[in-house]
Amino acid sequence: MDNSSRLGVFLCDCGNTMSKTIDFSAIKAKLERLDDIDYVAISHDLCLIKAQEAMQKDIRDRGINRVVVAACSPELHEHTFMNVLQRAGVNPHLLSMANIREQCFWTHPHKEKAAEKAMVQIVLAINRARLLEPVEKAEIPVNQDVLIVGGGIVGTEAAIELSHLNLKTTLIEKEAALGGKLNLFASLYPLQITPEEVLASKLKQVTESPNIDVLTSAELIDVRGQAGNFVARIKRGDEEFVRNFGAVILATGYDAQFASQLYGFETSTSIVTLSQLEEMLKSPAEIKKIPRNVGFITDVSDEHSRISTLSALRNALGVKEKFGSEVCILCKNLKVDGAGLEKLYHDCRNRGVIFLKFDKPPKISEEDGEIHIQVEDVLMPGEQMALSCDLLVVEEMVIPPSDSETLRSILDIGLDPQGFYQDNNIHLYPTFSNREGIFFAGNCHADLDLIRALTEASNVALSAYRLLAQGRVTIEAENVMIDPSKCCFCLTCIRACPHNAIREVQVDHEKRVAQIVDLACQGCGICTAVCPAKAIRFKDWSDDQILAELELVGAYL
Amino acid sequence: MNTEGAFLPDIVAFCCAHSAYQAADSAGYLRIPYPENIRVIRVPCAGRVDVLHILKAFEKGADGVLVLGCHEGACRHISGNIRAKNRAQKANTLLEEIGVDGKRVEMLTLAQNQGLRFAQIASEMTERIKQLEGKHNA
Repeated sequence: MDNSSRLGVFLCDCGNTMSKTIDFSAIKAKLERLDDIDYVAISHDLCLIKAQEAMQKDIRDRGINRVVVAACSPELHEHTFMNVLQRAGVNPHLLSMANIREQCFWTHPHKEKAAEKAMVQIVLAINRARLLEPVEKAEIPVNQDVLIVGGGIVGTEAAIELSHLNLKTTLIEKEAALGGKLNLFASLYPLQITPEEVLASKLKQVTESPNIDVLTSAELIDVRGQAGNFVARIKRGDEEFVRNFGAVILATGYDAQFASQLYGFETSTSIVTLSQLEEMLKSPAEIKKIPRNVGFITDVSDEHSRISTLSALRNALGVKEKFGSEVCILCKNLKVDGAGLEKLYHDCRNRGVIFLKFDKPPKISEEDGEIHIQVEDVLMPGEQMALSCDLLVVEEMVIPPSDSETLRSILDIGLDPQGFYQDNNIHLYPTFSNREGIFFAGNCHADLDLIRALTEASNVALSAYRLLAQGRVTIEAENVMIDPSKCCFCLTCIRACPHNAIREVQVDHEKRVAQIVDLACQGCGICTAVCPAKAIRFKDWSDDQILAELELVGAYL
Repeated sequence: MNTEGAFLPDIVAFCCAHSAYQAADSAGYLRIPYPENIRVIRVPCAGRVDVLHILKAFEKGADGVLVLGCHEGACRHISGNIRAKNRAQKANTLLEEIGVDGKRVEMLTLAQNQGLRFAQIASEMTERIKQLEGKHNA
């Protein structure tokens, strides 16, 4: 810390609650005796606007440029106090907090020991404050175009949302037409609208919008660069071209596959999968013999799949309506949730669909085109029921699309154990990938019904909009930075970075170095810890700052 | 080391700001007591903790070091917790080489809401170091 630094300590007793245990005036007196502390103040409610205004005034009037706040957890109010510093004209990163409430006063019932620990924590926070470095903000330009991979209903919806927000999108689809799985659906129960109507209205919006560029029968070959500046190579037929994008949205959907090994039989003329049934329902005129009894089996290969359960219920109603057959659904627990699913279930029951719940998978045999089912209902244990039907419909497993592995390697993103795209954090960041500027929407990363998937499409459109809308992004410049003179380009950090935020830079014709991309960096500090040359500095969490907190171990002040 | 009465080991806990640090806060919210000898150091990710930090903690007088991060598969930074585990393992090996019991370093995982678990880990580590202490002095 240079001589021009002026350090101010703000103590907060949380509405006088902590002052019963900890003697704040004694702490204040001790701190005032220390040489280089310029100001100590006690407040009762630093989280309130009024106290913050007083704090802001103190900082400004007394020329304080490093602030220690001893109060509650930084997880709760670090941001609040950083804003106070900002308003007072001090770099917000010059704030150090001592957590004397959650991790001291509230958890240590022994009064004296709690007071001693609080004092140690405050002194450590002061030591840390001396080592803090300002982090400046900077604005960098970003490309405003968005690349959407996958022209199904989710990708199309995201493109339409973005076009309303005035961002240009390129929608690439590997098939010859947009629409994806929706082209195959026979109905959208419990919605009254048909898939054809939905698609027609969406496609109309796509063709009318000047902001959407549709590339069908196209595929992504390569993507380089980071958030705000991706360079993508796209192949369409024999031609290959390069386009620049600020963000990438993946909406590649799912594939469905009949898990014959789990069932122990193959499909035939009288055993069909749900997708084959949908084809039959779409063109009932082409069916030679309308089935009288139709059985559905679900929950055998995947009990947790919204897509297959919803599809079984939806198509059971479809069969009732188009064929007028008797329908029986063999299921386990129908445990999935979804908008309108309960209503769909009751509609099925009201239309006369029979539900039979099993624990052990039913035994199936086929004889002269007639399917015989032996099943034990959970309500009647030990009793085998025999059913027969002339059409058996089996569920399909939802599997990742065939090109997800290719896209994973092109974009350097993660896959979950099932092979779907891995969210950054399923609770906190469910549509974000591990890389800034790459988002997921729809069934390529989660098991969603149509309504949820469409909500997600709007959600990612907004995420991309938030990143790109201004055409420039404010970042914290060089919070983490690599010293080019120490970097020997060993690639350790580039391999270790979980967010792919480090790129190589050619310094001259001989030397190459690694460089942090500020916009893509998410501030974990993994690179700082792995660098064998100690060439990486993380200003907010430098080695010096962390080691400073190891002082006074065992000391009681 | 505590000056009065029974020996109380000093333990440094490097806590990931996304999980373990908030678990420590959560112990506070729930008023679950744990020994005062736990020195919580907030880090942006358990992966930020270097072997150097762990060894320095012992140099500065700590009797035990905990590295606490997110549960496996739930790391905010994908692989930071796995890295932390490997580093703790490395520090463990280095300590064993110079004759210090490797059990003094441990990497454990926590979720934000596991205040009770945090307090348990703190107490268990304190007990374990107390038992090891005779060995260390010899």
